Amino acid sequence: MKYFQTRLLCGLIILSAAIPACKDKNAVQVYRVSKAETESSAPPKAAAPESSGMGAMPPDHPAIGAPASAMAPAAEPSRVTGNPPSNWVAQPLTTMRMASYLVKGENGTSSDISLVALAGPAGGVLDNVNRWLSQLGKPAITAEQLAQMAQHVASPLGDVTLVDIEGLPEGADAAKEGRIIAGIAPVDGKSFFFKMRGNAPLAESQKDGFIQWIGSVRMNETASAPDPMAAAPAAPLPSMPSAAPAVPAAPEPQKEQIKWEVPAGWNAGAAAAMRYASFAVAGQNGEKADISVSVFGGDGGGDLGNVNRWRSQIGLGEVADGELKSLVVPVAGKDSEILTVDMTGPKGRILAGWARIGGRSWFFKLIAPDQLAGSEKAGFQKFLESVQFQP
Amino acid sequence: MWNRLLDFISSLKLTVICLSLAMILVFVGTMAQVNFGIHEVQQRYFQSLLIWWPSGSHGLKIPVFPGGHLLGGVLLINLIAAHARRFRWTWSKLGIQLTHAGLIVMLAGVLLTDFLSVESFMRLAPGETKNYSEDSRAMELAIIDESDSQLDQVVAIPEARLKQPGAVEIEGLPFQITIRHFYQNSRMQPLDKAGSNAVPAATKGTGSQLAVSEVPQATAENERDLQSVVIEMTSIPASGEAAAQSLGTWLVSDQLVESQAFSYGGKPWRLVMRPQRYYKPYSLTLQKFTHEQYAGTQIAKNFASHAVLKDPEKNENREVLIYMNHPLRYRGETFFQSGFEQNDTATILQDVYNPSFVAPYVACVIVAAGLLLQFGYHFVRFLRRRKTNHAQ
Repeated sequence: MKYFQTRLLCGLIILSAAIPACKDKNAVQVYRVSKAETESSAPPKAAAPESSGMGAMPPDHPAIGAPASAMAPAAEPSRVTGNPPSNWVAQPLTTMRMASYLVKGENGTSSDISLVALAGPAGGVLDNVNRWLSQLGKPAITAEQLAQMAQHVASPLGDVTLVDIEGLPEGADAAKEGRIIAGIAPVDGKSFFFKMRGNAPLAESQKDGFIQWIGSVRMNETASAPDPMAAAPAAPLPSMPSAAPAVPAAPEPQKEQIKWEVPAGWNAGAAAAMRYASFAVAGQNGEKADISVSVFGGDGGGDLGNVNRWRSQIGLGEVADGELKSLVVPVAGKDSEILTVDMTGPKGRILAGWARIGGRSWFFKLIAPDQLAGSEKAGFQKFLESVQFQP
Repeated sequence: MWNRLLDFISSLKLTVICLSLAMILVFVGTMAQVNFGIHEVQQRYFQSLLIWWPSGSHGLKIPVFPGGHLLGGVLLINLIAAHARRFRWTWSKLGIQLTHAGLIVMLAGVLLTDFLSVESFMRLAPGETKNYSEDSRAMELAIIDESDSQLDQVVAIPEARLKQPGAVEIEGLPFQITIRHFYQNSRMQPLDKAGSNAVPAATKGTGSQLAVSEVPQATAENERDLQSVVIEMTSIPASGEAAAQSLGTWLVSDQLVESQAFSYGGKPWRLVMRPQRYYKPYSLTLQKFTHEQYAGTQIAKNFASHAVLKDPEKNENREVLIYMNHPLRYRGETFFQSGFEQNDTATILQDVYNPSFVAPYVACVIVAAGLLLQFGYHFVRFLRRRKTNHAQ
């Protein structure tokens, strides 16, 4: 029996030695990593002690404690649609990024472009601008200074406050740092952050494209996370309001990826509900032309109904179905025919066009005082001719 | 008394009891997957010492059945004890001894796998380089010091620690972190839509405008919990100062897609809840992802990741091809081609670290050798006896 006890003891000692003593799910780790998301080397240990004395792991040892089973991360659909410049390369989305692009320039320069959203004011415009300034090694500014330097850009998500700041912190890589062009759009209790950060000359060359992209970004309603707090597959937050424009009975266009060429002098206008895009043209004496693009499901109310509604907006009486044909002039878009009308009434002039693609009705409308509408008619015509529903 | 205990530990009776209980455990655990999902059942039934009832309650719990680790551990000790007791250097018993030794290696390997293995995922888009993988379930709270222009200093508090209320001792942080409340699965609502009785989840940051509530844990296989935690930051009193001052409470959550920024001590900081990261001393860069389908169908024929492996410590810089059933094994980790994202925009590699992965193979070889020896010995003896009988 004594011999047996000795052997049993030996066996149990070997067993207990095999059971790892290093497993510690609670260990707090402290390390340093490159600011870029894609580090190319292991994080060097920080000078601070690694943990709270709960044991440490070998230097090249992965952390211990993951469950034995795990599911693959779900594929993440794009949460927004937009028209980024063709030289921007789409990057993988993360839980934070609703859109992510990288643009590369000469000599290894690059700029990173992102759109993220956050519930609430997220610190407000001033604090965030000051945070970006600190990232570029610049001193903080006041609200008055911000008001002087900020620009405003209209986007389907709302009014975007845009700042363009430049600076290269000591030791920073000039190929990837030096400028931040960023916009914040507080919409329906959320804050949308458009940001381009990277090499200064490259960011400058991409600024126009960045602003145009901001003007084209809209929420993809079929994606799972239109609001800043619902990203995981199991738990959408149904009560959170969506920032997407409310287009009744018309699902958001996903595959059309409509494209057009915006005439010179047209500025992206303030977004509004039921609008896919807006533009504005300033005339003389404070006159303004409002151009809108809308999309509706089905026939969108029919030709006659819409034309008569437009007529009422400019103080004209209704026309009968038979009279409508004489008003309509077809215009050839890039891949479809667009029917147009040009109507002038005591309250103004409307140039409008519409096309029905894939079960949806697209409406393009310019409303302005007579003279301004007349001067913009050629541009509007070119705009319609440039429309491409399925590029 | 001691001898009786040793007799019991090494007895066949204990083996039978353990195996019977294990059968019941497997049956009950399998049935429980209907309600709890496979992951939760693994945690509660098979990777635990005891099964507690009621399962989801925070209150008083009583153990109702031995868990997988307890049964496996006892069975392992029973096998070792039986082995130690009955081991004899005789040819007639060698096969049995080897078979038992193989079973011991097998059981020990299972336990080691449970304790040591880590499964995570690395998602790579073409051209992207990563030197870390991410856990698909476990989260971590990262507190990031962004003051350096090149490197971020990260303090990562794992989910398991976040579940324990109280102060987290972290050397190097200029403030104290205290866990106030951990929500295993939570939902958030803007404060103005959460009802008149709703209170802000936190006093600072995004949480000051949100109400958070706890919801039952996700149990379906394709669901996961959305963890949230409320932390309080307090200043660390300098010598001569009376007491620490609260800097406010913050809500960090898996549901918040953006990190929260704050300043302290003249430095910019960020707080974010993110999948737990496992950093590596090497990196993988995806060069190309190919996804072949059978002609005329959308059925995957093959998907493969062409990547570059760089390891400065070992002067490795080589191309690797990871595809179905052909994983990359490097530094004790195995990267399997696990999946891909829509439109083939990224590849998903499953990263498995399991230092005891060889145990089942070794165990099978030992058991097979033992059985061969045992049956071979008896077969030879049978032939000899037969020959002797014929001779007579």
